[in-house]
Amino acid sequence: MKLFVFKSKNELIGIESDYVHRIIDDIKVTPVPLTPESYTGLLYHRGELFDVINMRLLLGYPDEGSAETTRIIILKWLNKKLAVIPDEIKGMIWIDDNSENKNEYYHEELKIRLIKPDYIWNKLSELSYGPCKI
Amino acid sequence: MGKTSIKIKLITYFLILLLVIIVVIGAVNRITGDFYLAQGLSVALAMGIGTIFGIVFSRSITLRLNKLSNAAKEISNGNLTREIEIISEDEIRDLEEVFSLMVNHLRTLLLDMKSVSIKIHETNSTLIKLAKKLLEGSNEIDITAKSIAKSSEDQTEIIRNTTIKLEGGIKVMDELVNQSAHTISKVDEAIKKTQKGETNARETLSHLELVLKEMGEYAKPISRLPDKVEKIKVVTNVMEAIAQKTDLLSLNASIEATRAGESGKGFAIVAEEIRNMAENSKQSSQAITRLVEDILVDNKFLKEFLVKNQTDLDKGREIIRGIVHTFGDMLYGVKEIFTEIKSMEEATIRQAKELRSFSDKFNELASFASQNFESTQKTAISTRNQKVEVRKIVSTIRLLDRLSEKMIETQQRFSLPERTHQLPENQPEENQP
Repeated sequence: MKLFVFKSKNELIGIESDYVHRIIDDIKVTPVPLTPESYTGLLYHRGELFDVINMRLLLGYPDEGSAETTRIIILKWLNKKLAVIPDEIKGMIWIDDNSENKNEYYHEELKIRLIKPDYIWNKLSELSYGPCKI
Repeated sequence: MGKTSIKIKLITYFLILLLVIIVVIGAVNRITGDFYLAQGLSVALAMGIGTIFGIVFSRSITLRLNKLSNAAKEISNGNLTREIEIISEDEIRDLEEVFSLMVNHLRTLLLDMKSVSIKIHETNSTLIKLAKKLLEGSNEIDITAKSIAKSSEDQTEIIRNTTIKLEGGIKVMDELVNQSAHTISKVDEAIKKTQKGETNARETLSHLELVLKEMGEYAKPISRLPDKVEKIKVVTNVMEAIAQKTDLLSLNASIEATRAGESGKGFAIVAEEIRNMAENSKQSSQAITRLVEDILVDNKFLKEFLVKNQTDLDKGREIIRGIVHTFGDMLYGVKEIFTEIKSMEEATIRQAKELRSFSDKFNELASFASQNFESTQKTAISTRNQKVEVRKIVSTIRLLDRLSEKMIETQQRFSLPERTHQLPENQPEENQP
């Protein structure tokens, strides 16, 4: 199985590569008022509008400021689409799908937490409205 | 009335007598006619008249001579009051006049003798006073001579001590002169060293100016270095941006390759390699950036160091200029000191010379004081001799005084007429010896 791995805080998070559509950078994200804190805003890319989610905040880690170059991972699955902001992109890795726990994998003795795009969506929907960002 | 000598008198008397005889003879002869009678009578008359005349004439002479004899006796007895009457005009008158003149002379002589005695007495009194004063003076001279002798002795001692001190002073002055010469040589050496120091300081200043100029030339590339480094940074930023783009591109390529399935595996590997290369390139550019930043830091430090060096060198230049100025002042001061010490040396030499002259004069003075001492000794001896002589003079004066007393006594033995019995002016009764 091929995973797209990125890092939030000190946690390695993997998403199946099939859900990953593109990696973009230096795109202006427009903040949306009265949305949760982890909801960074809306992204317009090549005629499509994406919800942009900060994974660090979504996972409950404190905000430590944005990185020098913000890269955004665009996810597309079924008819859904989403953009997430990682702390650092690690890249594609191949892993054997023989783990008993289907949510955790190890690569070169590093634990990788496997998430689905719906997890992100559901997690976001659980959150209450946040402060006004404008 | 003219003088009539005894001879003329006698001739006159004889002629008168002769005439009488002739007259008598004539008359008798006429009366009597007897010549012989007339002759006898005339002879007898002539003899009688002649005898009477002779007696009268001799008596008149004898009386006058007796008067003179009596007067001489009285004079011999000291009576000079007797006046000789001068009546006739004959030769006895001459005797009387001579006698009277002698008496007068004797009176004058006695008066003169008295006057001389009184004057001798007065002179003796004055001489005794003078002798007393002379004795007193001699005593004072003696005392003074002793005092002068003592003073001369003290003076000689003082002069000797002073001469010793002066000789010590001359030695000190000689040492001072030597010291001054030594100091002058040292000051001269100091002038040379100061001049050398000034020259060295000026050379150091010129070298420092050269170093500063060269440092300015060296600092130019260093100051240009940040611009070049900035350009390198721009290039590395571009490289990093390219690397990021490449990384992103390789990521997307790997995503596309994954999406392509089995056919995209090779492409995925290539994309992965490209991504690794991009990563390496990024790391290299980051390393270059770090190196460039290090270079910038070093350059900044170097610039600060150069600025500090420049400041320090400016301070050093100012210090060296100050040193040059100080050396100039020192040179001026040392030259002034040299002039002062030179004049001091000349003054010291003059002073030493004058001290030597002074010492010579003091030696002469010591000699004079010694001579003075001897002279005062001699003066004291002479004064003592003089006192002896003065005493002899006093005894002689007293002897003379006694002689004058005797003269006065002798004079007092003679009585003088009242008009001549006047003492000469101001007979000093108090001046009795």
